[in-house]
Amino acid sequence: MNMTVQDNPMPPGSPNTPSRELGKEYLEDIALKSRPVISIRFRLFLAFLVIFAFSMIVALWSIYALSGIQAKILFLEAAGDYLAEIQQARRFEKNFLLYGTNLEDSMQHLQTAEEILQKNKNTIEKILGRNSIRGMSLQLSNYHKVLEKVGEAGDTDERNRYEPELREYGGQLVSDATNFVEKEREAVEGALSLSRRVPFYFLGILMVLIIVITSFLVKNILSTLNRFLEYTNRIGEGDFSPILPKRKYRDEFSQLGLAFNHMIRELDKRHKILIESHKLRAVGTLVAGVAHELNNPLNNTMLTAGLLEEDFGRLPDEEKLDLVRDIIKETDRSKVIVRHLLDFARASEYKIVAMDLEKLLEGSIRLVHNRVKLAKIDLQIKLTPDLPPVHGDEQALQQVFINLILNAVDALPPKGKIAITDSKSSQGGFIEIKITDNGAGIPEHILPRIFDPFFTTKVKEKGTGLGLSVSQGIVRRLGGNITVESRVGMGTTFTVLLPTTEVPSSVSAAADS
Amino acid sequence: MNRNLRIMVIDDENIVGKRLKPALEKDGDIVEAFTDARKALERFSEQQFDIVVSDIRMDDIDGLEVLEQVLARSEKTKVIIITGYATVEVAQEALVKGAFDFIAKPFKPNDLRSIIDKAAKELDK
Repeated sequence: MNMTVQDNPMPPGSPNTPSRELGKEYLEDIALKSRPVISIRFRLFLAFLVIFAFSMIVALWSIYALSGIQAKILFLEAAGDYLAEIQQARRFEKNFLLYGTNLEDSMQHLQTAEEILQKNKNTIEKILGRNSIRGMSLQLSNYHKVLEKVGEAGDTDERNRYEPELREYGGQLVSDATNFVEKEREAVEGALSLSRRVPFYFLGILMVLIIVITSFLVKNILSTLNRFLEYTNRIGEGDFSPILPKRKYRDEFSQLGLAFNHMIRELDKRHKILIESHKLRAVGTLVAGVAHELNNPLNNTMLTAGLLEEDFGRLPDEEKLDLVRDIIKETDRSKVIVRHLLDFARASEYKIVAMDLEKLLEGSIRLVHNRVKLAKIDLQIKLTPDLPPVHGDEQALQQVFINLILNAVDALPPKGKIAITDSKSSQGGFIEIKITDNGAGIPEHILPRIFDPFFTTKVKEKGTGLGLSVSQGIVRRLGGNITVESRVGMGTTFTVLLPTTEVPSSVSAAADS
Repeated sequence: MNRNLRIMVIDDENIVGKRLKPALEKDGDIVEAFTDARKALERFSEQQFDIVVSDIRMDDIDGLEVLEQVLARSEKTKVIIITGYATVEVAQEALVKGAFDFIAKPFKPNDLRSIIDKAAKELDK
């Protein structure tokens, strides 16, 4: 039995079925899928096809050139024969004139030469032109005629009279034939030398062709690979936006893109689940915190009231009053906790306006001035002039900065330092305000929890553990973020990232949509 | 009623001790209240107590640690744990570690008294 995995699909609904739903089209995938297919396989095939076609052309040309040379050589032989016949005819002509031998032989050779000429008429015409062949055959017939006249002549004087004419036509014939053979030999040599050079030209062009095609393909593939490298980096940094097509066609990389999009969706889903579970944990902390925080003043109230009830008749008025005051004080404490809780879950509308950061920070510092002075803290504010306005709710943002400054104050021993500085955010349209203290720092293991509601490191009655989570909530609702960096023994920096307003106009927006 | 039990109350909420002390002393017991668990344990080294009532959630030393240290020093001492919020897990852990009982906030003086009465009966055995 030889069955591959693909041949044996898992039944639907089995636990190992991939979560990708068949038939479900994702919007971001449609663009990728709708591109015409030009696969890498096809491009490679095309590249090799071009090279093959070029080689084939050269091969066909070689065959053609060789057969041409062969024909030329055959023709050269004919030309040689023609020359030989003419020369032979002239030799017999001379013998006849000198020794009176048979002229018939000369005629015979002339006849053969004429036959060769007729037989190769077309080829000669091609090589030497129409006029030359006409001239050649004219000379041949002229010579023939003169030769006949010489043969018919009765005496030596008459023969001698024809001699110059005979010599002229004969010489012309021989030189023409020689010329012709020479020309033909040159042509053959030219063709041979060309077919010797052509392989080198071919190799050169082939080399260039291979380099061009390879670099094109490599560039094509490498640029896409680099793009995917960027995608992995981007995804690693938590940007889960889908991959969209950058080319006009699709290939195996598009499949990879689809797989990436699938991965992104899965990651995003898991990420959301993670955030959700984190939120749930925060809610858990919140609930536990509320229970504990509220239970203390409630318990105090109950104990005090219980005692008042028990001893109501016996206690002097002064002590009764003391008990009642305790009850009021503890109820008040509960009220503060509930108010903070409401701040935390505040769903009221923010009045979002463009604000001068410097004024905002100075206002916040004025409000905490006394606390800072009492704690003997050196608070310095160093801002770049002409900061862009930020948008947000003035009171809410003031609350954020007061929270952060007071947190720093609480974390610092006397003579500690707090610095408020600004820096341009790497994200456009945002500004960063940094609040740095030189306190003891926050241990790494509790750093991830400091924004959780009711998480506090402060002693009882000094903090509810809601300050940072409320602040984070406010800033996030404005589109910003608060981050923290801390090193034990070195200090802590809280960075508030706020969106800037390019147009300083009042923007009224309902917060918490 | 004059039991003369020595009772220690530990809660970092000042009012708890302040109110429980007179409430429990009405039964004739001797009550000492602490907001600092460390100081309470120091005092325990000097003076044995019959009953220790301790809050479970405190900053420095929590109620479970108080429970362990008290039992380590005096096996027969009854430890009553006050829990801020009654979760089964914490209560179970306290009971497993040898606590006599637990009481959830908020409670009335009488609620605690009835547990102390039970503990007193145990002590008499």
